[in-house]
Amino acid sequence: MTAVRPALRDLPSRLRLHRLLPVLSVAVAVGAVAAAVAGAPLPLTDWWILAVFAAFIAVGEVNRIVLPGGRETAPMSLAAGYALAMTYEVGDEHQVAFGAGVVIAATSVGMLAGAVPALLRRSPVRADDLAARFLSVAVVALLFRHLEVWNGEPLLTLQDDWLNYRWVTAVSMVLVSGIALLVQAFCVALAIASRDHRPFWRSLADEVRQGAGLGAALAASGTLIALAERPMGIVALPVFLVPLVLTQFAIRRFAGVRETYGQTIRALSRLTEIGGYTRRDHPARVAALSVAMGRDLGMSDRDTLDLEYAALLHDIGQVALREPIPGGATMMAAPADQDRIARDGAGIVRQTGVLDHVAVILESQAKPYRQVRELGEDLPLASRIIKVANAYDDLIGEARARRARKHASAIERIHLGLGYEYDPRVVEALIRVLDRRAAVVDGG
Amino acid sequence: MTQAPAQRPTWSRGVQLYVCAVAVVAVVAVVISIVKPPHSWERDQWVAFGVLLALGLVSVAVREPDVGSKVTFSFLSIIVISSVVLTGPAGSAIIGGLSMALERGRRPLIARLFNASMFALQGLVGGLVYVGLQGPIAEDVKTISGAGELLLRVGVPLIIADVAQMLVNAVLLAGVVRLSTGMPFRRFITQIVSSSGPAYIGYGVIGFLLIVLWLPADVGPFSAVLILAPLYVARWAFVQFGEEQRAHERTLSALVTAVETKDPNAAGHSGRIATLAEWMARPLSMGAQDVQSLRYAAMLHDVGKVGVPTRILRRPRELTSADLEALTHHSALGVVLVREIDFLRGSLDGIRHHHERWDGLGYPDGLVGDEIPLVSRVIAVADAFDALTTDRAERPAATPMEALRQVEQRRGRQFDPQVVAALGTVLERHEWPVTTFDEETLERMRGYLDHDDPVAWERVWTPPQQSPLDVGPTEVDPLPRRAPAAGAPVGIPTETPVGEQVRAP
Repeated sequence: MTAVRPALRDLPSRLRLHRLLPVLSVAVAVGAVAAAVAGAPLPLTDWWILAVFAAFIAVGEVNRIVLPGGRETAPMSLAAGYALAMTYEVGDEHQVAFGAGVVIAATSVGMLAGAVPALLRRSPVRADDLAARFLSVAVVALLFRHLEVWNGEPLLTLQDDWLNYRWVTAVSMVLVSGIALLVQAFCVALAIASRDHRPFWRSLADEVRQGAGLGAALAASGTLIALAERPMGIVALPVFLVPLVLTQFAIRRFAGVRETYGQTIRALSRLTEIGGYTRRDHPARVAALSVAMGRDLGMSDRDTLDLEYAALLHDIGQVALREPIPGGATMMAAPADQDRIARDGAGIVRQTGVLDHVAVILESQAKPYRQVRELGEDLPLASRIIKVANAYDDLIGEARARRARKHASAIERIHLGLGYEYDPRVVEALIRVLDRRAAVVDGG
Repeated sequence: MTQAPAQRPTWSRGVQLYVCAVAVVAVVAVVISIVKPPHSWERDQWVAFGVLLALGLVSVAVREPDVGSKVTFSFLSIIVISSVVLTGPAGSAIIGGLSMALERGRRPLIARLFNASMFALQGLVGGLVYVGLQGPIAEDVKTISGAGELLLRVGVPLIIADVAQMLVNAVLLAGVVRLSTGMPFRRFITQIVSSSGPAYIGYGVIGFLLIVLWLPADVGPFSAVLILAPLYVARWAFVQFGEEQRAHERTLSALVTAVETKDPNAAGHSGRIATLAEWMARPLSMGAQDVQSLRYAAMLHDVGKVGVPTRILRRPRELTSADLEALTHHSALGVVLVREIDFLRGSLDGIRHHHERWDGLGYPDGLVGDEIPLVSRVIAVADAFDALTTDRAERPAATPMEALRQVEQRRGRQFDPQVVAALGTVLERHEWPVTTFDEETLERMRGYLDHDDPVAWERVWTPPQQSPLDVGPTEVDPLPRRAPAAGAPVGIPTETPVGEQVRAP
């Protein structure tokens, strides 16, 4: 892995892009409303159509789902938004008269209305995710209704030329939706890079890979609705959302079991705490620190999950010890003992038969970094991260007071083992993560 | 799923004859419907036929093994019901039959023949029902427009045809199952209709959407891609769900493993009593949800032992009464450990109270009789029974009958009589293997105190006051009685301080 130049890497964070996205969305929405007001008055049927779409977008927003991995999305809202943006003929002989401005204005009304229940419950609304969804609908509306692709005509009216080849229209709709989904992934990746200090390309790759399945379902659903509106009228909207509802249900179940799995791992991680082997919340703290470092070093989501589980379970080998190590600090134990704990832990984890990746990480967690340099051994990055995070947490102890001094001396001790015990690149990541935490504490 | 019997039937002679008869009926019916088609086929219909047949073959080829997530899709069923309208009854029958006949993999010839005939007949019967209800076919659908008209003239006949297909499926399968396992015809049909009925309605609805897009919306074969994409993603998510759930189950058992690493003398105990408790749930007529909670509670009932110092677990006979009291904390500690796992919420009480006694002299809360959750009462009995039937250095394992007798002696005092009765019922039906160890292991175990052993009970726990009913076991007690503890043991703290208390200095 090559080191990205820090200045470029930190650009999204320094520009605070995750704060900028909502601002950009509001600007787009205001512009759209202005354009809609300035445009020609709409027939009553169009108002009805817009109202139904806005209502379904709102319902879709209320029924947001959390994807495995913690990201939030609203499939029904997006599919309805895309369909509205590509709506042309609704029922026999009625062509809608509105342009992209009206579509975007209606979408913003629907999305804001959908956010109201969450706001009333005082649960946080993720403004950057919402903004990314809104912008992607705006992209569909602009591309489909106004981009002149052939003979000065946009795709919207080109449909009339392709009446005998409706499938061409269908393909064009899928393509436009695909582009909009990429734009959305781009926005979300920027927001993540900015908020979590992850390398941008890594976030984008994760976003695209994880969003591919649901994205395909979304693009297909928006297209289905837009195409079925001609024979069926507005009823097409609820009826053709049915396959997507099923998809959403399945994904929700998947995310649910992933969540439960996480809870079980956390319970496992507390075995050592309750057994009196480790200090309170030690595994949870090491996990939080490790994940932040892994993100900083550009690990993929899949690898970060393994890292998190391994960090939570890194001390589980101690359960087999007869007497606890003082204070539970493995860092202070003799190297041979550390290694044995690591192997015992890996053994316990391996018995599950499903956490082999985690077991591999655990096995190497006590090995010093010099084995990479001198023996050419391949220590997993996750193991090196856990080693450093664990050492830091052991060194800083439970001291609330004199935290700054403890911190300084902990970093100093880790620096003493640099290159020999610890991977310098990982230690740099630790320092970056801790600096950011300090900045948050000082700033707020 | 519905197209093949869940349990692989034995292909007895009767079954073979039955399958051949079904196949002959299917072939004859299909041939008649081809020779005398109700409509003449036009070019579009041939295109639809080709595309749907290809899709059918693909859907059968990519079918993944059932992952036990309860929700499975049969893409082929969607294709068969759609082709009723897109190609007519004969086309539907051929698509269904050929797809199953050319299925990839090594299915026995006779199973292949049966599946193919069954799908052909489903397509044909569904098609005839649809045509009989005046449902329009192929180009005729294009003349209809408007949601109401489409629903009434295409949707309703299609759903009825769909139900007919489900009945054909159920009846033909019930025949095979009746012949091979002797399961009553009617019971199997009710079972299959209630389990896959909703799914079939779903196939009908999806098929309707596909037809609307294909014909009235004029998108043609590309509609299939658009409709099936979200469904394919849904199925992918269900498969992921199933895998993740299985992984989760395995990880949960790691919690148990962790305890066994610490207390090797109890290895296998949790798994055994989980099985026994699940058996006992049946005569106690517990609901499915409760059985689930019971199973998890039984698996994890001793998980709190990780909070008890290892020396106490391994050599309790040398210990002071204060040490032994620490052992009694394990039921409350177990709850502290797993209370943040949402799906175990129903099992928490079961874990906390599994050492309560029917007469109220147990720990940690001294609950009496019905106050004790049923789950805990079941675990208490299973726990003691397994302890008695396990070899220990000081005594050999009791036979199941002997152990049952010992448990029965304590009914009404330590155990709920109803639950003890359930244990008796279970032992009549199931073989219970006694847990034995070789000499060497037994020697290593010397000095171990099994806290679940009802005989050891009095050593581990002195109730705040002696019950008038409580007469300690006499003839089987090999243990020296311990001197009464100085002062009654205090209640066990349950909230956060527990973690604090047992932590190493």
